Amino acid sequence: MALTYIIEDNEIMADLFARYLGGVSETKIFHDAISAISEIENDKPNLIVLDILLTGPDGFTFLNELMSYEDTAKIPIIITTSLKLEQENLKDYNVVKILNKESLLPADLKNAAMECLRNVGNA
Amino acid sequence: MTSEVSSIAVVAHELKTPLCILRQLALSIDSADEKSFKKARAQMIQTSERALRQVNDLTKVARLEDGLFELEAVPVRAVCNEVTAELRELFRENHRDINWKYTNKSRLVLANRDMLYSVIYNFCSNAMHYSDVNTKATIMVRDKKGKVEILVRDFGPALPTKIWKEMKYGFINEPTSVAMRPGSSGLGLYIASKFSKYMNGEVSAIRHRDGTSFSLILPISNQMSMFEV
Repeated sequence: MALTYIIEDNEIMADLFARYLGGVSETKIFHDAISAISEIENDKPNLIVLDILLTGPDGFTFLNELMSYEDTAKIPIIITTSLKLEQENLKDYNVVKILNKESLLPADLKNAAMECLRNVGNA
Repeated sequence: MTSEVSSIAVVAHELKTPLCILRQLALSIDSADEKSFKKARAQMIQTSERALRQVNDLTKVARLEDGLFELEAVPVRAVCNEVTAELRELFRENHRDINWKYTNKSRLVLANRDMLYSVIYNFCSNAMHYSDVNTKATIMVRDKKGKVEILVRDFGPALPTKIWKEMKYGFINEPTSVAMRPGSSGLGLYIASKFSKYMNGEVSAIRHRDGTSFSLILPISNQMSMFEV
């Protein structure tokens, strides 16, 4: 089964996202960017669900860090945020979808993840 | 953007967070088994209570100039114990812990009890957001130059420089911008700063290599001190 990292500093939100992805992918939850980056060498995910306003280094810093290495630069990213972001501006970071937390439905995340993983051949 | 508009934007964003969580919890109930349902219900109550506390504090901030809040003799340890008891569960849910350490004799301080509670609560809440997983924040109460110092120490990433500079000089003038304030803490420190000033307290922050301490110094109240336990 594919592996998805959920990087979200709110415990409740992270648990809910993991539940939404049940049956689609295994999940690992990280509450900050540093712990996710530390783990990525040991267990590379097929997909990352990323919040932007994290405690410590934010989601943009994390995206830049991912781009610094050839093997992590290609991991697809789904951003979940309540900020207004344009996907066009983030396509160079392999951001395949931006889901707004204000309107996100459980099925939106599940479908976006399924589509991503299908495209990279892991679904 | 004017300072007022910027402040409103920060407050709006801060209040959006619990609303998004409540919405997701409500959506999750559809597919929840009984255990998950009970958990979601408890989380909804907890989240809404915290948001209400923040709204109440903001309402008070708006009314500070009216001078309606009385200062009285407040048992500082009792307030610290109440905050610790309320926040301990939240800390544990987030894989952190909180304890207290009292190094002076039990004191009464000149303060407004609700405001003092909010200041300590906001310091502790900030400590939770900025501390590393599996660390323990500490509330310390000690005597300092004839006054009482309440210190909240956390272990984690350094406080953003902008907030630290403002706290260092004793006051946060406006809610910190969203870009500088990942996590839910900038508004809390602003509220704490406003309430401290109202109570004639001295507020400051110390950056350590492995975390931050927030300090509030209040005058000792000698009134009725014989009754404090």
